[in-house]
Amino acid sequence: MAKTCVRNNIRKLRFEHGEMTQQALGEAVGVTRQTIVAIEKEKYSPSLEAAFRIAEVFGEPLESVFRYERD
Amino acid sequence: MSFQEKSSWGLLLGIGVVAFFYFPAAFEIVGRVSHGAPLIGISIAGVIAIVVIESTYHAIIAGGSDDQTDERDRLIDMKSERFASYALVISLFWLVGHIIITHAIEGLAPMPGLEIAVWILLALTASEVVKLIAQITQYRLSA
Repeated sequence: MAKTCVRNNIRKLRFEHGEMTQQALGEAVGVTRQTIVAIEKEKYSPSLEAAFRIAEVFGEPLESVFRYERD
Repeated sequence: MSFQEKSSWGLLLGIGVVAFFYFPAAFEIVGRVSHGAPLIGISIAGVIAIVVIESTYHAIIAGGSDDQTDERDRLIDMKSERFASYALVISLFWLVGHIIITHAIEGLAPMPGLEIAVWILLALTASEVVKLIAQITQYRLSA
């Protein structure tokens, strides 16, 4: 499946937060680990609510975590 | 692999195995007899086989695995349902067309009621198989 137009810094942010696991991030956000994997690989665009929750977990504004890049 | 994906694989294999044995037997019965008693017998056996296979399989995969669903699972489910509905509509239109044509053209034997029932069941099964394949494909492609 082609990558989505939504880019993200989740891998970098997980590293900066003590190498937070995908499982831990998924539990904090309320999604499965597989969904975090898909978001991180930019193969799935999260809902707005999940995107806000991910940004909240990292204590960052939404635009620092996600950006839109038209192909 | 998530619990949902494993579950889809299990359902696909379970339905596939039962359908592989059920439908040839069902079509053989409706071609041979005009009453539905033998068909009811193998239909009950088919349902029991699916229930046993799925219960056993899900009991095995449930051990230690997280069975929660989230927005991605629901999205994949919705997209897969759409594919399944296309498959069902195409199958049923084909069946209805076949029934009308065999009744309309002299010389063609109309399809018996029991055979129509088996074809409808096959259409429902095919749409479920399409749904499961679509689910597995989407899980694999966005894994």
